[in-house]
Amino acid sequence: MLRLENVHKSFGGIVALHGVSFHVEPRSITGLIGPNGSGKSTSFNVISGFYSKDRGEIYFQGKKIEDIEPYKIAMTGIGRTFQISEVPEKMTVVENLLLAPKNQFGEGVLNVFLHPLKIKKEQDEHIKKVYEILELIQLYDLRNEYAGNLSGGQKKLLSLGTILMSDPTLILLDEPTAGVNPTLIKDLIVAIKNLRDEKGKTILLVEHNMKVISEICDKVIVLDYGKKIAEGTPEEIQRNEKVLEAYLSGSSKRE
Amino acid sequence: MGLINFLVYLAIMMGIYGILSLSLNLQYGFAGLANFGQVAFFCLGAYVSTIVVLTFDMPFIFGLLGGMTVAGVFGYVIAIPTADLKEDYWAIVTLAAAEIVRIFFLNEDWVVGGGPYVGGSFGIGGIPQPLRALFSAHTYPFFYLTIVLVCLLITYTIINKITQSPFGRVLKSFREGGDNLPQAMGKNVKKFRVKVMAIGGSFGGLAGCLWAHFHGFISPDQFMPLETFIVWAMVIVGGKANNKGAILGAVVIMIFYNSTRFLKDYIPVEAVTLASLRMVAIGILIVVAMLFMKEGFIKEKKVLY
Amino acid sequence: MTFTQVVINSIVRASELALLSLGLTIVYDILRFANFAHTEFAVVGVYLALFLNITLGLHIIPAVIFASVATGIFSILVDRAVFKKMRNTSGIIIMVTSLGLAIALRHTISAIWGADAQNYSIALQRPIVTEYFRITPLQIWIILVGLAAMFVFHLLLHHTKLGKAMRASSDNPELAQASGIATEKIITYVWFIAITFASLGGILIGMETYILPYMGFAIIVPVFCATIMGGIGNPYGAMLGALVLSFAENFGLYINFGKIINLGGVLDFSKDIFVPTGYKPAISFVMLILVLLIRPRGILGRKKES
Repeated sequence: MLRLENVHKSFGGIVALHGVSFHVEPRSITGLIGPNGSGKSTSFNVISGFYSKDRGEIYFQGKKIEDIEPYKIAMTGIGRTFQISEVPEKMTVVENLLLAPKNQFGEGVLNVFLHPLKIKKEQDEHIKKVYEILELIQLYDLRNEYAGNLSGGQKKLLSLGTILMSDPTLILLDEPTAGVNPTLIKDLIVAIKNLRDEKGKTILLVEHNMKVISEICDKVIVLDYGKKIAEGTPEEIQRNEKVLEAYLSGSSKRE
Repeated sequence: MGLINFLVYLAIMMGIYGILSLSLNLQYGFAGLANFGQVAFFCLGAYVSTIVVLTFDMPFIFGLLGGMTVAGVFGYVIAIPTADLKEDYWAIVTLAAAEIVRIFFLNEDWVVGGGPYVGGSFGIGGIPQPLRALFSAHTYPFFYLTIVLVCLLITYTIINKITQSPFGRVLKSFREGGDNLPQAMGKNVKKFRVKVMAIGGSFGGLAGCLWAHFHGFISPDQFMPLETFIVWAMVIVGGKANNKGAILGAVVIMIFYNSTRFLKDYIPVEAVTLASLRMVAIGILIVVAMLFMKEGFIKEKKVLY
Repeated sequence: MTFTQVVINSIVRASELALLSLGLTIVYDILRFANFAHTEFAVVGVYLALFLNITLGLHIIPAVIFASVATGIFSILVDRAVFKKMRNTSGIIIMVTSLGLAIALRHTISAIWGADAQNYSIALQRPIVTEYFRITPLQIWIILVGLAAMFVFHLLLHHTKLGKAMRASSDNPELAQASGIATEKIITYVWFIAITFASLGGILIGMETYILPYMGFAIIVPVFCATIMGGIGNPYGAMLGALVLSFAENFGLYINFGKIINLGGVLDFSKDIFVPTGYKPAISFVMLILVLLIRPRGILGRKKES
């Protein structure tokens, strides 16, 4: 589904990704972990097109991803959330969700005037889906609240909701449980597993919560200083010496 | 000027500026584009319409369409290379672009229509008023007011429909400058910005055309950056991202701006000085509004489900 | 007009512009907004000096000094009254506020002094004329004052505690605030320096040409252009940007593009093509667009990571 081959990325003098290679199988949940600064977010940004890689190749569904704008990559079926919530504050929860479906007919200016009925039909269908998702992410009561007024955890749920609305093939989740209250995390886990099992989605997630990782990941990839240092099942990773060393020594060296 | 005539004049000005205000509100209030060069569209609409009607001897409607088209194209062309610039860079670029437009018309004194029309710093006079012959001098202003109000209504309807559509929703998503989320959702943010500038531009041109044919005379110093700032005052005071607010802002500022005309009978100050003081008041009004009333009179309407 | 003359004109203009763009860049750097009232503050200084010089009969030199300093202090008061309340507001709101302020300042000046061109009372200028150029003593003074001011600023930035604090705040505002460098105090000093310099620049322009209420607006695009070209936040960039822009403006008018197209006789093109003087402001606009499209951080600016 997704394959990175020898991807390099530097910022000025700092090497963020040092020849990273890994692959993600279809219909699986893969975890991407590592100490701070190991290159997890950079990988996400490179895959989704927000950073351009210096060297290396990225393949999605067998096809090479060229150096194009993020929106074009999103249109190929890659969806992502952001570590620091990027939700537009002055739009309501419902508006945020309605934003998500791709290729909306009503987004063409001329269409607004030439095909109003078609647009109304499309919007009604989307609204139905929005209500379903609101139930799922438990934000129904807050649906008309401005996104800016939500708590950090609620914003994370909203991000997940927009992913569900936009229906991508590959989903990149950037710390989906950070700041979310523990009872809700259980529901999130169920929802993410559901995406794999019932919707057949492929998920790559960055997480610091090892319990979540153990519970839902089929495979875990470990980065350190921009290199892949280990790969395997959650149990294998937790026993891996190199991984333990990276986390222990890393935390004193980094900021 | 008799009172009725003055009120009709005032209403026409409110209508014309209402269109300018709606146009800027679309750009800034809904799409986050801080256009400090709004007067460029006004200027282009006025000049192009005048040239179409005088040089090419075409009827008013073609002047209108010509002015709107050129202004819209200008908005489109300016936006293409610059749409993704940071808001403060974009502001100075649009300010400078508007100045270039004005300087262009200041320098290029084409003799229009081979007649007594001059151009350049002297301005162009003798701009015909549409269907003037059908009315008496007394009733014509009412007719023109009708034209302006119809245009205002059309502008409001179109812009309102746009801002309430899915297209408008995408605008709101990147309006604060956060391009990341819309991009991650597959929205070509730049394309939306460019389209907004084209649409906003053409309505600015419409206002310019209505202005030119009402006043009968245009010159470059009617299109100083000051005009842009007056429109900004209208958008801010009326309420940004609210179309009714934009019109309200135009009404309020126009009343304010013109009310001081009467003061000159009571205040022993020269007319020129009074004009300057009027502008001081508008400047202070903008500052005060930004400090205490950022949302304007009418806040943005929340879309409820 | 000879080549040398164009060079001299450019250097004089650069000296004036640099004082203005320097002020703009340091305020931009520390407060993170584009102050559209910057050049209007300079005009306040210009007219204050005019008042002292003509109305009160003060000699031009103390008039200039006093006016510049007074305007610097005035800007601190304005900051306290207006911008201080907006330290955390979005960029557009502050920009629009500065716009309103600019209108208020400019029209207050024209209400008081009227729209006619005015002049300072300085000695009649007898130009030094040579075969290749002419230059007036005033122009020589302008260059010297410009250089002196920039040198003083350099000393300030690198040899004083204030300068050190300014540089720290510029590099890392959060860290500077956390480590106890009183940011509000620095902001006060920055305004003072910026606007005093800007007033001086405006006054020099007024001495060399005319004093008019809209002169602030006439230079806003070139000043912004010079600042951005040099790299926002970099004072040396501002000076460099002023130099580059001045040369571009003057040479832009001087170059015969027809001769260039002619390629020295290779192509049979004999028309003279000059940029019309009326389009001089367009040159800074074109330069600005080019910089923003090709290298938005400017010549000396730092690269901002996303």
